Amino acid sequence: MIMREKFSAGLLCMGLIVALLPISAGRSLSVRPQKLMVELLDEKTYFSVDQVAKFLVTEDSTVQFFDLRSPGEFSAINIPGSINIPYNELLNNDPGRFLSDENIKKIFYSNGDFDSNYAFAIASGLNYKNIFVMKGGLNEWFKTIMNSNFSGDRISARENALFETRFRARKMFSEINSLPDSLKVKYIEAKHIAAKKLDGGCE
Amino acid sequence: MPGFSEKTGYEESVERRAKRQPKGVKTFRHLDKQTINMGPLSSLITMPEWLELLIALLIGIGFGFSLEQAGFSSSRKLAGMFYGYDTTVIKVFFTAAIVALLGSQLLSFLGLLNLNMVFVNEFYVNASIVGGIIMGAGFIMGGFCPGTGLCALSIGKIDAMVFFAGGLTGAFLFAETYPLILDLANGSYKGPLKINEVMGISPGLFSFLLIIAAVVMFWLAEIAEKRFARPDISNEI
Amino acid sequence: MKNRYMNPYIAGTMLGFVLLLAMFLSGRGLGASGGIKYCAVSIVGAIDRQHAEESIYYSKYFEGGKKPLKNWLTIEIFGVLAGGFLSGAISKRLKFRIEKSPGISNTRRMIFAFLGGVFFVYGAQLARGCTSGAALSGMAVLSVAGFVTMIAIFGSAYIFAWFFRKNWI
Repeated sequence: MIMREKFSAGLLCMGLIVALLPISAGRSLSVRPQKLMVELLDEKTYFSVDQVAKFLVTEDSTVQFFDLRSPGEFSAINIPGSINIPYNELLNNDPGRFLSDENIKKIFYSNGDFDSNYAFAIASGLNYKNIFVMKGGLNEWFKTIMNSNFSGDRISARENALFETRFRARKMFSEINSLPDSLKVKYIEAKHIAAKKLDGGCE
Repeated sequence: MPGFSEKTGYEESVERRAKRQPKGVKTFRHLDKQTINMGPLSSLITMPEWLELLIALLIGIGFGFSLEQAGFSSSRKLAGMFYGYDTTVIKVFFTAAIVALLGSQLLSFLGLLNLNMVFVNEFYVNASIVGGIIMGAGFIMGGFCPGTGLCALSIGKIDAMVFFAGGLTGAFLFAETYPLILDLANGSYKGPLKINEVMGISPGLFSFLLIIAAVVMFWLAEIAEKRFARPDISNEI
Repeated sequence: MKNRYMNPYIAGTMLGFVLLLAMFLSGRGLGASGGIKYCAVSIVGAIDRQHAEESIYYSKYFEGGKKPLKNWLTIEIFGVLAGGFLSGAISKRLKFRIEKSPGISNTRRMIFAFLGGVFFVYGAQLARGCTSGAALSGMAVLSVAGFVTMIAIFGSAYIFAWFFRKNWI
């Protein structure tokens, strides 16, 4: 059976080639400094922590949060439902898995502003669409949402709604972040699985 | 607090910049076209329905042709896999899977195919295992699987026609008993999990390991065919 | 007589290219049991439309006036029939006959073929795929579901093989 031997040899060679290929060579970072600068300075790229709180409280399914910090920081505390992509691994693992669904708004956050902005520049440079940044990061979140207090005599309806959202977001944040690790992982996994609905299969 | 409009921040900023641009200044719009070359074609262009169905028909013709040429229109040949006298099943199966796998990985590398837009089977743990066990029983009883059964039907095998009738009945039974097995069918959903993600290695490396396993199986299959040979059957099918 | 079929490695390569083409053009793999399911659904719809629209299972195939036969999988299995026929015609294998081991009767073969069909498609609906849809196409996209289903099918068939050996050898 010469065919078998030729075939196996051919497959093994091809396999070796494929094994040594880098993963996501399909997209390359295209440097468009002018465009990137415009986007980074554009206020539409940023969501304020109040807007993020609103997304969280209404469990908006068109939004996905991404935590750019290290896994340790992520497991200590994070915005419920967010996916952890450590900043320095953004280019190593194929981020296309999470970032290519154009119908989902993807919001990056880190502790402050720097990492999330750099990650935004990279992701945007790789031509992923619909990427945003939470302005101020978790520092701003704690300042505004977690520690916010109303002071004064009267409250307008708009401010009332604002503080209500902040209060609910605060509650949700504390509750889920104080879960034991195993339950937290389950909750995170459940959101993680929101798969894009592709057509296919034998069903 | 800036409100957010219907358009994404990205689209609006592109629009605003385009409007602001004085004439004669070079824009970088042409670089937006970078990802346009990626298949699958169905995600690239919105195909009219007749075209999608035409593609399905052509692919089906290729599918049926390959199966029949391999000899899978014979139930005794298929069953031979489980008794050792004919191991064509494993050879064709693994060859086809590996060729498609290598092809798609290469196309993805060349930027011609976006693997994130190709359907990945969703993993329901219990349903997969129990369903697989039931299918195995069906396979050894009937000697066909749906694809090969249809193939055999098309060349006139009457047992394949009966298999098809049984298949329709099985689908009907499933539909009628669906409310009873709802939990089994929809439980323990793990999403479209990929095996290289679970193992933590790159798809290319896993493909290579799979090829090694397949080559070993090809050799074992050859040995098995010599050991369990039944020339009386092999000469008939 | 023995070697009138195509070499399995060549046939496998051809099948692999067909699968690759499906992935490239339509972003999906092959399928067969799904097509059988759609045929069954459309038959039920034709006979007892009201039952179909009320049931939680059938209704999703008829909502919005959809026709279950106008579906990628259904048209694909018509293609399989055509392709098989074409190949049979070219290789002169077209013949109405019942293929079975000489040691059993025709009736017995038919009974087991029918039961095999019932079990197989029932299991395929549960596992959301058959050998082509889940196992083959699943392996080509490296899905865990594909691998698990494939191992379950082949493992269980090997175990049951001993009990049904009289039918084949």
